[in-house]
Amino acid sequence: MILDLHTHSIKSDDGRARVETYCGWIRKRELQIEGFVLTEHRQFDDESDYRPLEHEFGLRILKGSEVETDYGHVLVFGVNDRMRAAFDFADIDLPLGLVLEEAKRCGGVAVPCHPGRPRVGMCAHFAERGAVDGVRVIETRNGGSRNGEDAAALALAEKFGYRGIGGSDAHLVSQIGRCATRFEGAIRNEDDLVRAIRSGKFEAIRWT
Amino acid sequence: MRFEDIEIGDELPAEQPDVRVERVREFAKTAGMLTGRFVDHQKAREQGLPGAILPGIMSQALLAAVIHRWAPGCAIQQIDTVFRAPILVDSHPTTRGVVTSTDAGAQTVDVDLTIENEAGETRVIGTAVVRLD
Repeated sequence: MILDLHTHSIKSDDGRARVETYCGWIRKRELQIEGFVLTEHRQFDDESDYRPLEHEFGLRILKGSEVETDYGHVLVFGVNDRMRAAFDFADIDLPLGLVLEEAKRCGGVAVPCHPGRPRVGMCAHFAERGAVDGVRVIETRNGGSRNGEDAAALALAEKFGYRGIGGSDAHLVSQIGRCATRFEGAIRNEDDLVRAIRSGKFEAIRWT
Repeated sequence: MRFEDIEIGDELPAEQPDVRVERVREFAKTAGMLTGRFVDHQKAREQGLPGAILPGIMSQALLAAVIHRWAPGCAIQQIDTVFRAPILVDSHPTTRGVVTSTDAGAQTVDVDLTIENEAGETRVIGTAVVRLD
């Protein structure tokens, strides 16, 4: 199953895409992704119910979040009440170690994203302050990456033995599906997604 | 351009707008924004910028112009931009647009808009709702 693991909707302050329009675009453009994960900035959207859209368009629509740490931005999957109580999603300077540890303890998984990006990526912070224990997976394919950023992420993954996921980091409808992650089996819900990421059996994909 | 002629995925013709300092000065003067950061590279650098930058409303105006050239006579009902990074004066940006949805009842289309720099980096994103008869 192929999922875009990094997307933003109008729920994010800088997102300009409606989820329904994402779905229509995916089908109209015959994109290869079979679903996507909404990773809104500094929050978890527990209000929206996208099940009707899942049924209408035959797509999997899951929810995660993109939080901000002292080592850059981090995607968290498998968000639940325990995790939301464990750290403040709105905090823009969360300790990376805390997010990694608490996400795992609460049954989820944390994945540093666009690590090659200046300021908001992990690579530069590693270079300046050293590595942080607990990282297993990073985003090695990001649809918003500029020249050299994905290469830096891949080099980091190779150096430390990290697995790599892909996500478009879409903020506009037309940006979805530029990168994604191919899993071996079906992903039915957030728990399946966490298990699949923890298994390490996936591959990051870039189409454009 | 008529509404019936438009499909999701249609791309608006890309443009390379003129953002030379003379043109930006003209715009800034008209808009009452004639300050150093927009029209003087040295003064902009003194403010910590990499050079003079386009006023945000000029970026938005360039994107609106792309829409009007694509569909003369259309009405832009809404336009919204997010400035992710500055567009430098005297650079060579590219403006793009693509139709992402259509509403036959309202005779409107949604358009994604971007401005890229020479390296292909997306610096400004936006959306517009455009009515066509």
